[in-house]
Amino acid sequence: MNKSIPTLVSRIALGVLFLFLLGALFRLQVIKGDEYRRIAESNFVRIRRVSATRGEIYDSKYRPVAINIPSHNLYLISGKITNIKALGLFLNVYFGINQEELHDLVFQQRFKTYEEILLVDNIPYETVLALSERMNYYPELVFRNGTTRQYLYPNHFSGYVGRINEAEFKRYRDEDYSLNGYIGKNGLEKYYEVLLRGTDGREILQVDARGKSLDLFRVDGSRDPLNGLSLVLSIDNDLQQFASDNFPVGARGAIVVSDIKTGGILAYVSKPDYDPNVFMQKISPELWSQLNRPEKPLLDRVCQSAYPPGSVFKPVTASEGLETGIINRNTLLASCTGGLKIGNRFYKCWSSGGHGRTSIVDALKVSCDVFFYDLISRIKLDDAWRHAKACGVVDRTGIDLPSERNGLYPNTQWYQKRLGRSTGLQGYKANLSIGQGEVLTTPLQINTLYAAIARDGYWIQPHLLVKTLGKGRLDREQVQPIVKRRLPWSANTVKCIQDGLWAVCNAPGGTGRALNVAGATAYGKTGSAENALGKVTHAWFCGYIVTDKPEIVVTVFLENAGGGGAVAGPICNRIMNYYVGNLESFKKPAPVPAQFRSLAPVDREEVTEPETPAATESPAPEPGQHMETQSED
Amino acid sequence: MFNRKKFDWNLAVLLLILICMGCVAIFTASTTTIGQHSSTENHWWKQIIFAGIAIGAILLLLKLPMPIFDIVVLPLFLANLLALVLVLFTPAVNGSHRWFSFLGLNYQPSESAKLFTILMVARIISKDHLNKLKQVLYGVGLVLVPMLLIIIEPDFGTTLVFMFALLSMLVAAEVPLFYILLMVSPVVSIMSSLSWVAVVIWLALLVFLLLRVRLSWVAITIAGIVNVFIALIMPVFWNGLKDYQQNRILTFMDPMRDPLGAGYQIIQSKIAVGSGAIIGKGWLQGTQKNMNFLPEHHTDFIFSVIGEEFGFVGSTLLLFVFTLFFLRLINAMGEIKVKERKIASAGILAYLMFQTFINIGMNIGVVPATGIPLPFISYGGSNLLINALAVGVVLKYLNERGFMK
Repeated sequence: MNKSIPTLVSRIALGVLFLFLLGALFRLQVIKGDEYRRIAESNFVRIRRVSATRGEIYDSKYRPVAINIPSHNLYLISGKITNIKALGLFLNVYFGINQEELHDLVFQQRFKTYEEILLVDNIPYETVLALSERMNYYPELVFRNGTTRQYLYPNHFSGYVGRINEAEFKRYRDEDYSLNGYIGKNGLEKYYEVLLRGTDGREILQVDARGKSLDLFRVDGSRDPLNGLSLVLSIDNDLQQFASDNFPVGARGAIVVSDIKTGGILAYVSKPDYDPNVFMQKISPELWSQLNRPEKPLLDRVCQSAYPPGSVFKPVTASEGLETGIINRNTLLASCTGGLKIGNRFYKCWSSGGHGRTSIVDALKVSCDVFFYDLISRIKLDDAWRHAKACGVVDRTGIDLPSERNGLYPNTQWYQKRLGRSTGLQGYKANLSIGQGEVLTTPLQINTLYAAIARDGYWIQPHLLVKTLGKGRLDREQVQPIVKRRLPWSANTVKCIQDGLWAVCNAPGGTGRALNVAGATAYGKTGSAENALGKVTHAWFCGYIVTDKPEIVVTVFLENAGGGGAVAGPICNRIMNYYVGNLESFKKPAPVPAQFRSLAPVDREEVTEPETPAATESPAPEPGQHMETQSED
Repeated sequence: MFNRKKFDWNLAVLLLILICMGCVAIFTASTTTIGQHSSTENHWWKQIIFAGIAIGAILLLLKLPMPIFDIVVLPLFLANLLALVLVLFTPAVNGSHRWFSFLGLNYQPSESAKLFTILMVARIISKDHLNKLKQVLYGVGLVLVPMLLIIIEPDFGTTLVFMFALLSMLVAAEVPLFYILLMVSPVVSIMSSLSWVAVVIWLALLVFLLLRVRLSWVAITIAGIVNVFIALIMPVFWNGLKDYQQNRILTFMDPMRDPLGAGYQIIQSKIAVGSGAIIGKGWLQGTQKNMNFLPEHHTDFIFSVIGEEFGFVGSTLLLFVFTLFFLRLINAMGEIKVKERKIASAGILAYLMFQTFINIGMNIGVVPATGIPLPFISYGGSNLLINALAVGVVLKYLNERGFMK
C-alpha cells in the first residue's frame, strides 16, 4: 500500500470529516433528539403569510365602486387529515366538493405546500354557525375570517377578482401569489392588479406550547404586508347611475360620457350588464347560461366591440377634405337628388328627396350622404385610410382597461387580401365616407374623437384612473403617462366641423334637434348605421356641450334601435340636461376622506386579520394549533 | 478492456449500495402519506431508470479502448464549455440559468463540466516537460474558464467544487506546497478584506510562510503586492455589485441571513433530522416530510428525510458507507501509477467527497452553504450519471493497471 503524501492527506481529511459529521449527528439526533421531536410533533416553526389588503376602488368623489367586506372561508390543512373518505363525504354534503376534487387538492403537486388550502370562500354566516359543532370531528378543517370584494353596482369597467387558477399561478410564479389568493380577472381589477394587490407580509412563528420563543433564527425575518393602493376613478357615480337608469329597458348598446377638459371617463355604461358580485361565489349552471345568453351581457360594448359608425363618422371624412384643400368652407359639391351614381351603381342618400348642392356645414347639418360620396371620390383610398388612422378613430385608444378592441378602416392592401383586387374600389370607398361598409369603430373611439373636436383638435387618451391613494402611492403620470397629441387639423378645419355639429343641433333642419340643453350650447351628430346584425339601423348620437367652456362629451349607441336622431338623441339630451342642471355639484371637488388625508404612512398600516386566528378557529384545543395559519414558504 | 481479475469489485459494490440507498430514499421522499392514504410521485422509478443508464454507461466505459477514451476527452471538454455558454441564454429558473430542458429531462452542463474539466486538467498538468510553476498556472487557467461561466449562471456551490478538485489534483501532482499557498492566498485575501486587522495579520503570515520556504524576494514581493491589491480592490468590486447580487453571495455563505428562504429550509431540515432521534420515525412515517415543510425534499434535502425516518442509526450507516467508499477511492488513487490517472483520481475523489460532506453538513446545519446535492442519493438524472461515470473512470484506470509503466 502506498504511503505517499496525497493518500495520507486524503485519509486524514476523510477521517476528520467523518468524525466531525458523526459527532454533529450524535449531538443533533441523540442528545437533542427529544427536543427536536417535540418541536416536530407540535409544528412550532412556521412561516405565516400575512395577506395584504387589496386596494379599493372609488369614484371621483371618493364614493365606493368596489370595496372589501368581511367573509367566512373554509380552509383545509392537508397534513392533519386522518380519514380522507369521511372528509370527502362531509365536504360533498355541505359544500359540493366531490372525492376527486379533494384528492386533487391534497395530492396535486401545486398544493404540496404546508400552506392551508382555501376550500370554499364566502360561506354564509348561517352555514358557519350550523356547521361549527360538526367541525369538531374534522380537525383538518378550519373556518377563518377573510375579506371578499363587493361591487356597488353592475358595470363593465370595474371587472372582478377571482381565485388564482393553475395557469395564472404558474405564469406569475415569481410574484409571490398565494395558492389561496385572488387575482384580478377582468376590467380595472385586472388592468391595475399590480397597484391594487400590495405585497404580502411574512411572519415567522417559532413559539412553543407555552408561548416561549424557540430562538432558532438569528435574525427576525418577519416582514410587514404592504397594502395595495386604492384607485380613484374619473367615474361619477351619480352620472353613471343616471345614464344607466335612462338606458331604454331591454335595449343593447352603450353610453360613454367623458370630461372634455381631462379626457377622464365620467360614465361608462354597457347594456345589458351583469353584476360582478356573481363571480364572487360559485356560479350555478343556470346563472352561467343566463350570463351567456344571446344578448351577451358579459360583452363590454363600449370598447370591446366595434360597430359601423354611420354618419357620426362623417367629420373624419370632412376633415380630410378640408385638410387636403379639396373643399373649403363654401365649396359646393355634387347636387344630391336622393343619391349619386358612382360607376354603374346608384348610391342612395338616406333622404330620397335629396338635399341639392350643399357646403360642408350644411352637409353635416342634414347628414347628406351624397356630399361625402362626391368628396371621397376625389381622395385616394390610402390617403383616407392614413387620415382616419391619424384621427385616432380606428385604433385602440389605450384606455386603462384590458382587451380593448381595434376599429377598422380598410386600405388598398386590405381589399387586395379580401377581394383579390385593388382597383375599382370607388363603390366601397363611397360607403367608407359615410361610416358604412367596412368601417368599424367602438363607441369609445367615437367619444374620444368628438372630445378632440371639442378641444379644437387636441386628442387626449381616455382614461378611468385619476389617482391612487395609500402608502407608497403613485401619481397618475407615474402609473402610466396619458398620451396627448394634436390631430392633423388646422384651426379652420376644426371650426368648420364645429359649426357643422352646431348646426346639427341648433339650425333649422338639423338632424339633431332633439337636443335642447338649457344653459349650454349643444353640438352633436346623429348616425343611423346599417349593419349585418339586423334590418333596423344602429342608432348613434355623439354630442358635447359648451357652457363658458367645453364640458362633457356624450356618446349614445343603441344596437338595432332605429334612427340616431329619434332614438339616441333624446337619451343624450336627458344626460346633458341632467349634467348642466347639476353643474355645481358635479364640479365641486369632494374632500379627501379622513383615512386618506394624512400623508403619514402609519395611516394605512392596518392588516386584514388583526384578530388572532385562534379566535375564528374550530374549538378543538390542541397544543400549538393556533400556530397554523395561512402560510407559505 | 474489461479484466475480471483486475476489476475492483469492492468499489463497484460500494457504488451500487449507494445508488440503491438513493433509490430507496427517493421513494420515501416522494411519498406523501395522509391517514392510511399515500401517494408516491414518479421520481423514484425515474431515478431507477437513470441508475440503470448510469450502470450501463460505466460498463460501456470499461469496454471502451483506452486510446479512444484518451481522444474523446478534449472534444467533450470543449463541447461542454460551449454548453456552459449556451445555457446562459436559456430562460431563468428560480433566478439562475443552469438547465437545458427538453422532453421533460433537465441537463445541467455544470455537472458534466466537473468531470471533463478534471480529466482535462489531469491530462495537461501531468505532462513531463512542465515545470511546477507551469503546472499550477495551466491548472488554474483551465479551471478558471468553466468556473467563471458557472459563476455567471450563478451557481456558487459548483464553483467551490471546482476549486477543491483543483487543489486536490495539484497536491496529487506533488507540486510544492507553497504554490498551493500562493494559489489559495487571493481567496484568503478576499475573505480577510472585510477587516483591516485581518488583512494585515494575513499578509504578515503570508510573507512569513513564504520566507520559510525560501522563496526569492522578487516572488515574495510580487505575491505581496498582488494580495494587497486584491484586498484593496475587493470593497470597490463589492460595492459595484447590485443589491440582489450581494445578497445572493451573502446568503450562500450564510443561509441564516435569509430566514424566510434558505435559512428556513435549513432550520426545518435540522428539525427533521433531529426529530428522527436514535432509531427514526420509521419507513414512510416522517411527519416533517409529510407536512411538506421542506419543498423539494427529494433533491438537496434528501438527507433530512433519511435522518428523520431512520434516525441516528440510519444516517450513521449512510455516513459509514460513504466513508468506506471514499477510503476505497483513496486506496485506488495510491494504486494507480500513471501520473495523469492518479491526478484525475485525486480530482474525482475530492469533488465527490466535497459534495458529500458539504451536503450532509448543510442538512444538519453545521455547514453554511446551499445548493449542493448529495452524490448518488439526491434525485437528479444528469447528476447521478456524471457522478457514476466519474467512479467509472476510476474503475477503468484500476482495470488498466500494469499495462503501462
